[in-house]
Parts: sequence; C-alpha cells; structure tokens
Amino acid sequence: MVENSKSVLIIGAGIAGIQAALDLGDMGIQVHLVEKQPCIGGRMAQLDKTFPTLDCSICILAPKLSECYRHQNITLHTLSEVDKIEGSIGNFTIDVLKHARYVKEDVCTNCGDCGNICPVRGISNFFDADLATQAAAQIAFPAAVPAAYRIDSKKCLYLNYGICGLCYQNCGADAIDLTQKDSILTLDNIGAVIVATGLDLAEDIHTLNIYGYQKYDNVITAMELERLICASGPQSGHLSRLTDGKHPHKIAFLQCIDSRTHNGQMYCSSVCCMYTTKEAMIAYEHNNELESYVFYIDMRAGGKGFQKFLKRGAEEYNIKYIKSKISHIEVDENDNPIITYEDYETSEIKKLTVDLVVLATCIIPSRGINKLADVLKIDLDHYDFVKTNPFLPMETSIDGIYTCGCAREPMDIPRSVAEASGAAARAAEVIKGG
Amino acid sequence: MSEKEEESRIGVFVCSCGSNIGGLVDVKALAEYAKTLPNVVFTEDNLYTCSETGLAQIKNGIKEHNLNRIIVASCTPRTHEPLFRNCVEDEGVNEYLFNFVNIRDQLTWVHQKQPEEAFEKAKDVIRMGVAKAAKLEALENITVDATATALVIGGGVSGMTAALSLAYQGFETHLVEREKELGGRIKTLYKLFPNDQEANILLENLKKNVDNSKNLTVYTSAQVKTIEGFIGNFEVEIEQDGKKFDLNIGVVLVAVGSSLFTPNGMFGYDGKIRITQHELEDKLKNNEIKSKDVVMIQCVGSRNDERAYCSNVCCMTALKNALIIKENNPETNITILFRDLYTPGTHYEDYYRRAREERIIFMEYNPEKEPQVEENQIKVYNEYLGEEMIIPYDLLVLSTPLVANNDNKALAQMLKVPLEENQFFLEAHVKLRPMDFATDGVFVCGSAKWPVDITESITQGYAAASRASTIISHDTIEVEGATSFLPDYNKNLCSGCEICVTVCPYKAIRKNEEDEIEITQVLCKGCGVCGATCTNHAIIIRHFTDAQIISEIYAFGGK
Amino acid sequence: MSYEPKILGFLCNWCCYAGADLAGVSRMQYPPNIRVIRVMCSGRIDPKFIFEALRVGADGVFIGGCHLGDCHYLEGNYEAVKKYEMVQKFLKLIDFDNRVRLEWVSASEGARYAAVIKEFTEHIRSLGPSPAGGDNPDEETLDKLRAMEEAAGGDRMRALVGRERKITEQENVYGEKVPLEKFIEIFDSAIIEEYNRQRILVALEKDSRSVKDLAAELEIDPSIVLEHMITLKTRGLVDFGELIGITPMFIKI
Repeated sequence: MVENSKSVLIIGAGIAGIQAALDLGDMGIQVHLVEKQPCIGGRMAQLDKTFPTLDCSICILAPKLSECYRHQNITLHTLSEVDKIEGSIGNFTIDVLKHARYVKEDVCTNCGDCGNICPVRGISNFFDADLATQAAAQIAFPAAVPAAYRIDSKKCLYLNYGICGLCYQNCGADAIDLTQKDSILTLDNIGAVIVATGLDLAEDIHTLNIYGYQKYDNVITAMELERLICASGPQSGHLSRLTDGKHPHKIAFLQCIDSRTHNGQMYCSSVCCMYTTKEAMIAYEHNNELESYVFYIDMRAGGKGFQKFLKRGAEEYNIKYIKSKISHIEVDENDNPIITYEDYETSEIKKLTVDLVVLATCIIPSRGINKLADVLKIDLDHYDFVKTNPFLPMETSIDGIYTCGCAREPMDIPRSVAEASGAAARAAEVIKGG
Repeated sequence: MSEKEEESRIGVFVCSCGSNIGGLVDVKALAEYAKTLPNVVFTEDNLYTCSETGLAQIKNGIKEHNLNRIIVASCTPRTHEPLFRNCVEDEGVNEYLFNFVNIRDQLTWVHQKQPEEAFEKAKDVIRMGVAKAAKLEALENITVDATATALVIGGGVSGMTAALSLAYQGFETHLVEREKELGGRIKTLYKLFPNDQEANILLENLKKNVDNSKNLTVYTSAQVKTIEGFIGNFEVEIEQDGKKFDLNIGVVLVAVGSSLFTPNGMFGYDGKIRITQHELEDKLKNNEIKSKDVVMIQCVGSRNDERAYCSNVCCMTALKNALIIKENNPETNITILFRDLYTPGTHYEDYYRRAREERIIFMEYNPEKEPQVEENQIKVYNEYLGEEMIIPYDLLVLSTPLVANNDNKALAQMLKVPLEENQFFLEAHVKLRPMDFATDGVFVCGSAKWPVDITESITQGYAAASRASTIISHDTIEVEGATSFLPDYNKNLCSGCEICVTVCPYKAIRKNEEDEIEITQVLCKGCGVCGATCTNHAIIIRHFTDAQIISEIYAFGGK
Repeated sequence: MSYEPKILGFLCNWCCYAGADLAGVSRMQYPPNIRVIRVMCSGRIDPKFIFEALRVGADGVFIGGCHLGDCHYLEGNYEAVKKYEMVQKFLKLIDFDNRVRLEWVSASEGARYAAVIKEFTEHIRSLGPSPAGGDNPDEETLDKLRAMEEAAGGDRMRALVGRERKITEQENVYGEKVPLEKFIEIFDSAIIEEYNRQRILVALEKDSRSVKDLAAELEIDPSIVLEHMITLKTRGLVDFGELIGITPMFIKI
C-alpha cells in the first residue's frame, strides 16, 4: 500500500527504537535503525526481570531483537551514529558515521575463538555494569544481536601498534577484517526521523561519593545489582558481596539518589520505586532469609498492577518501606554499611547496619544527546531531555523529527513501548499521509 | 510405509562449523551414518553450512539428487532456521520440508569433555530428525483479505487522536461516540496540567482537525450494536438515533475512557462544600470559589481494598486546581493531605515544586488513621510531629479515582477481549504489547485501559493507530502455515465438547452456525494446546503432528 | 552397576529451548544423556508422548517450559501442568512418577538448564534402568504403561483434564465453581477406573479370560473387575466368548 520509497531513520535501538522500527516495518515502510553500541537491545537487555510481571527481560526482548534483525524492511546500522542532517520534513538527507567492527558481520558465527585468544584482556564490560571484563575481541553478551564479535579499536594491538593479529589468524570462518575503516553512509529520501536514544544513569556522570559509592564496595548501584542477580550475569544470579563473597541477608535500598534534589537532578526518575521492589523480590527468591529495607520519600506506583506489586513486596517478600531522609553512610570494620537516617514517621534519627546498600540512581538523558541535538538542531529542555509539548508529546522542535521514551523523560518500559508506537504513527503520517 | 514416506528423498547436511562441531565429533562419519537411515538418499558434510558455499552445496544437492526433504545438522534453529528455509525454498522445495538438528548449542558446546558420548548423541538426534523429516508435509502460509478500514469506539481525546492519525494515514476511519458531542472527559474540565492550558482550546483544536479530516466519518449519539468476524474482516452494526449502519471493518480500537467515582459516605461528602475535584473544576470555570481555607484529601476511594490501585491523575489534578485557587486569591490557605505524592518525571516534579513554592501546604496522613472530617474542621494525626492537628476548612475537596465504565463487560464480550479485576480492559502483554489485545485486530488506548493523563491519552491514541496500521497497511493478512486444523476426515471424531474453544488463548476456535468446530486459521498461533487437549484426537497441529512427534520418539527408542 | 540413562526431553521453543541454547553459548557443561524434541509450547505435550517415550525404553522423560505467567502463548504452560499432573497420577501407581519431570526454565537461565539436566540425569541414574527399557523389557511393565496410555488418551480423562482449569477456576455450564477437593476426588477415582479398564482390555487382547483369572492376574478385587467388565460390554469393547464349565470367558472385540 505504501508506494513511495521514503524511509524513516530511527536513532537508538533500545526497546523504544526497536518497537518503532517494527511497527513501521510492519506497515511496509523502510526503516534505518541506527545504534551506537555493537548490538541492539539497550537497557532492557541488561535487566534480569521486569516489573510488575517479573517476566524474564531477555525472554520477552529476544524475539523482538530477532524480528528486527531479520525484518525485510529494517536495515540495522550498529556501531553507528548520525553525523549530519540536511533537508526538512519529508525529505531529509542524513550522514551516518559507521564505526568499523573489524569483523564481517554476516560471516561471523559467534564461536568465540577470537575472544579466547585475544591477549588484551581486562577491559570493563559496559553491559555488565563494569563488574566483568572482556577482551578486545568482544561481544557484549552471548545472545547479542547481531550475533557477531567486534574488535575494540582503542585497545586492539594490531590497530594501534601493528602487532598481534592472532584473532585474524585463528578465525576459522575468516570473519576478521582488520583493514576495515570507519565510513560515512549517506542516506537520502528520509521522510522522518525518530530520536529514541534512551537513558544513561547518574553514576555515569557523578561519583555519588556522598552515599559511599566508589568509596565502599558494599555500596552498589541498582544496575550493578541487576547484573549480579541476573541469571546470565557475572555472578550467575548468586548475589555475593564484592568485599568478601558472602551472601547478603540485609539489603538497604536507597531511593531518589541524585534525583529530586538540588544537589543532582531536580526531577523524579519515575521508575526506581518499582524497580527497587522488583530487585528486592528477585534477591529474596535467591535467599529466603533476606530482609530488605527501602528508604523512600514518596512511593510512586501508578501503573497497572503497580500498587499490588508493592503490597506483595511488603507482605510476601519481607520488604519494609521506611519513609525517611538519608543523612550519610559509613562502614564498620567488616565493611558493613551503616545508614544514618531520619525516620519521618517518628521524626527520630536512627542508624541501621546492613550487609549491602543499593542506590536507586537517577535516570539521565543519554550522554550523546547534546552532540546529537546539535547535529539535528532540536531543542533540549532544561534537563537535557528532548524538549516536547505535553499535548504534542512526540514532536520535537523540528518538524519531521519525533521522539519517544526516555530520550524525552524518564519512563518505564510499557510507556516507552507505547510512545515508540506513537512516534511510529507520526512518522507514518509523514510517509503516507496528506 | 505410507505413500508419503515412499516419496521422501531426504538429504542430510552435517555442518562442521569450523571446529565448533568438527573439532569434537567426526562430521564425515556422521554424514556416513545418516546415509544408512531410511529415506536418506544423499548426505554431505560442510565446513560452514550457513556460508554462501554451504548454501550452494545444499542447492546443488537438491538439484542433483532430486531431494524433497532437507536436514541440516548444525547450530540452532532459533537463529538459522529462516536462512535454510529460504535456501531450500529458492531451489523449489517448500520451506516446511526442511528440518533442523541441533548438534552445536545443545551438543558439542556442552559435552566438550565427552567426545565419544557426544558422537553417539549426534547420531541419535540426527536419526530422530530424519524420522520427523520423512513425515513432514508441504505447507502454505495462510492468507486472508483484509479490509483497510478502522473503527474507533469512543470520541474522547484518545479516540479522536487515534482516529485522526489513521485517517491522516489514508485509511477510511469510523469514529463512534455515544454522547451528542465529541470530547469525552475534557468537555467538563477547566484547565489541564502540566501547562495549565484551557481544556476547551485542546478540544476545539481536535474538533477542527476532525472536521477537516478527509477519511474520517463521525457518528455521535451512536453506539456499536454488534461486532462479528475477525481481524481484517469484522462486520459491525452501528445504531445512531434509530438508524442502523453496517460496516466492513479491518481493525477495531477501543477508546471508551473511564468514569468518575462519587465518594458517597466518605469524609462527609455532600456535593456542596465537601466536593470532588471534578465538581471543583466546574466551580473554578465559573470563578465561584471564594474560600478562605481549602483542604484537599488524596486517595479517597483508591489504594484501598476495593480499588487497590493508584489512579495516576489525582495528585496532579489537585495541584493544578490548588494553583488555580491560589492564583485567583493568593490569601487562600490550601492544605493537601496525601499518602504518597504522585508526580513522576520531569514536568510533573517541576509542577510539584512550583506548588510548594506557592506556599501550598502538604501534609502526609496514614491511611490507618484517616482524617476525621467535622463540620468546619479536620483532625489529622501528623506522624512526623506525633500530634493530632486541627485544620479549619470552608471547602473540602476529595480526590477520587477514575473507575472503569459499567458497560465495559458488555463491550468486552462483544469483542471477545478480557477485563482485569478492576474491570478495565486487559491488554495482551503489560510490558511489550500495551496497546494490543490477545485477540488479533482489536486494540485499546487511553483510560479504557487504565487511568491516564492527557499526555498519555494522546500518546496511546497514536500508539494504537500505529499498531492498527501495521495490519491494515496490507491488503492481506498472512500467518505461518504451522497452524492447527480440524480436517474433514476427522470431523466425525469431533464430539462437540468445545473444550478446544475454551483452551485456545487467542479465541481462534468457535462453534459455527452449522454446529461445527471452526478454527480461524489467521488467528491461530500454532501453540498446539488444542491438539493435545482434544478429547477424540481430532485436531491436528501442522508441522508438529502427533505422527511426526511419535516418529521422533520411536527413533529415540531405536525403532 | 553403571548404566547410561537414556533421557528424552521435550523443550518449548521460546523459553526452555532458548535457555538450553544459552547454556551452549555460555559453554555450560552437562551430561550427554538427554535427547531433545523441540515443540513450540509445553502445552503441546500430549500425555501420549510421555507414555510412548517410556514404552520405547526411556529411563527418564524431561519436559521444559516457560515459567508460569511467561508463556509465549499466554497460558499453554498452565495446560501443560494439568496434563503432567494427570500423567504423574497414573505413573505413581507403578512407581514411575519419579522418572518424569516438569521444569520451568526461562530463556535467560542457561546455567539453570545445565544444572537441572545434570541433577535430573544423576537422579535417573540413581533409580537404575527402567524396567521397560533395555534388551529385555519387562512385559508386565510394558502392559501397564500401555494401559495407562490408553486410559489417559480416552475421552473421559481427556475431558476431565481439558476442563479442569475452567471448572475449578471459573465455573461449569451451570455457573457453579467446583471446589478443588471435589474435582480431585472425581478425577482420582476416574484415573483408577479407566486404568483398570484398560488393563483388562490389554490382558484380553492376548487371550480370553474369566473374571476370576483377571482378578488374580491384575490383583484387583473380582467384584470390581466384574463391574468394569459390564461397563466395557455396554460400551461394546468386550463380549462373551466361550463358556468353560460354568465360567464365562470374555474376549476383546
């Protein structure tokens, strides 16, 4: 039904970008899906389970990743960024900077031999929240899509010093190509653009020392906990403290870290109340003796089934919710964190010693957003999220460029998915309508 | 041997996957072994079957040996089945005559220290794969025509947004609204958060777009009477002022919104000086509020045993109305009694901060020690101070939840879609398919699904339009051929028990007017539950038939 | 005595099979005794498959599906549970229930899949080889398994299992919800009745028998055998054969 050959370019292949791509692809519209990481899936791929259903995240995400990869109307550009844009709604011309993978994507069989033989090791794996390491020949996680390795150009000995090349010599499929170069791909006839760049986290820009993060090893972030309790994470789901390997029996979850505060971000990060309860539940499933304490200001749970989820947490998973304000964190001689806080319900100052502290850190816009906004010339709001009008929620300041999901405002997965479909509708109107 | 098996000419391609498979087991020997199996006429081992070379070898094999069933023994069907299916299809062999045997991800990679046992296992699973292949049948994907029209039920913000988007995309769209005027809830609102825009401006804008829309037909004072059929092929009857309209519809969108809750018997509600937020809106519109002391109570009738949910919009509504009162008369004292203040995100948290800066007082109350409302004062236990406080009021505003419409059940039954425990419509999957129903071709948006604000109503309206568009952007709807069916030769086995109708999660099975069981192919997802449940084994699950699975079991047993 | 258990596994495509693949990608090692049949949903598993697997000599049968609530087809795994529970009730009568296992493994639980298969394999090893397997399978066991397969496959049991969730969780055609205990009572007695009836039929297939012979051979009370025989005759499945003395012999039709 779609006669013209205009396509849509989507920036960001997290769940929002993927949903928008699939909707448009299913409508018969050509999509270019541009992702700066070597694989698609974004933050959702890092999660163990999702609230409020406690679905295994990768289980519900993986079919969408495959579908995206195989869809005849979707072209995937990983390790890519938007470099330049010209034109206007209905007719953009966009330069995509494609970073070299140094691996032939459709030849690589994901056997892992290059990763095993690569001598450059100990590189922090972003996917595992820097809790695990990988070699310069790497893949973010075993079930990554595309299922192909990449060579980290900053660390590779051959690319930087002209020595080694073991991966190339040992690849049975002849998939390594160290002669690849970054290139610019010019895409024209782009009718509309969707910005779905998602989120980063407060710890990516702030040290959060006042909560003891990076000072004490038993103070970790929620994303670190997520990777540790994840069945396919660095501890295979058996949560152990990084200091002594013991299983924690008392965990304190601190809400609103770096959010709702003049000292950090002033806004509310939206999803942390829910994911904290979720993490406490998953941790409890691994250890029935666990006591969880959630230190919060307001518990925000407005979505479908969310209130019941919190109630379940309190009644069945031994979670205590304490309305409070945190003063500071210190540790005892066994590295056990001690939290000093003001209990709102009794206005007393109290102390609680726990085995592990988990910080629910604020969602911040993706760190590349300022550069991208400059390129696209779209306005950002005073928090650096893409600026939108509440009653024209997917529109940016430039006609034909739309946005959705956490690029716009912190939000959970159901809202991101709905917004992504919404942005797809707007883009479809440009391609098809009149 | 059945006629089918005598025809089978099976080719087996064993992949070495470099050294991933070949490094542990002897793939040549496996290919030799496969040659000894019934119906196998050609075997070969490849270095990388998925490479261009490997695919060419498969095609060659098909050509030269007249193969009509192909097996590849290599990695996993979950990544590579589509590739090989396309390959054999290119060479004229129906893609469903291809079978995959996993000897890497579930064999050589996991039995690395036991090469001999791995080899024996590889033989076994290849034998099982060959047995199934002999019984495979060619299947065609199922196609039905789809009418490129949409029906939107409900003409509020969400419904209008969805209808406008679909119309703008070029689809003939019908919008049905039971009241005399379009607009739904915003007809009765004054200002909208978070930008304090007047509701009637938004409404006028939407109505103007509706009037200018080329492909949109609006029926006001109208109701949907009946809906029959299935995705792409719904037959809808609309009644408007006694007139009937019959429409052929491709997709249906439910945007019927929600209802207000009246807190009778709660906190002294009397509709006069103890009112709801909605009643307050009206008075604010007419500038009737001249109160000195206003108290608002949040979560009245929600987050309790009867309605265990948070209605999302009430905190922002209270803040907005409080700010309007303050703006009209800065001397008014406003106190908001709350449990948790729900202002997530950027815009809303900013709004909350603004309300605090305007000197609106916020006080938390414990639901177990509810505020006591007296004639002109309220007693609230303040946990933080550990004291009871007395707050005078001359206007008490109760923030009540949005509740599901009374007639959701009737509509749900008409559309064969479910409701959740609060009678809101239940989507297919809360996280990844928020606008879809499990029943294909029907979608939902806005407060019909769960209380949401205007921003989300608009977003969801567009989202539902997008989802609907993926269906009606095509003339036909196609599903994979591996569906369940009741063959004619088994019709006499069917006892009419209708258990299959109950267990199908997609409502794909029904008893038709001729009293026969009918499986709507285009709705079937091929899970196979009906086949495993049918009391007389009448239903057949294509590509995973009993005969095929039993042949794998026998081959496992060495028969 | 060491033998190598022969285990047949039925894995659902979306969760368990994916989890098994992940175990592979992650190189998690587990014993090589299991052979896998892939199905789209654990709800596809017909009880017949389990009995057939045991009858061809499987020492253990493993069924892997999605965690409850995660089923790709929404509710297929709930149906799988009901069928599995029925099969277990039958198998318990011959102490075979510990040879069949239902587990939920999600697509991200590669390590769990490997651990589960390892544990199940060792468990089956500890039970010793199945009496229905090997080069000299025990006739009596095979007969019993066959009787179970026929009983489970009969319309009465299939109707009970197929309706179970609706009747106990929602309501029957009269708008009543049947309490779980009552349903279990009806179900359990149906299991015994259908099993015994099929055992009678299997025995009669080989040779005509009198009620007394059957009662002794099958270790069932003669009066119960007679009741079943009458039912079977009414259903047209058996008939009188010859008369030996004053004892009627029955034959299978």
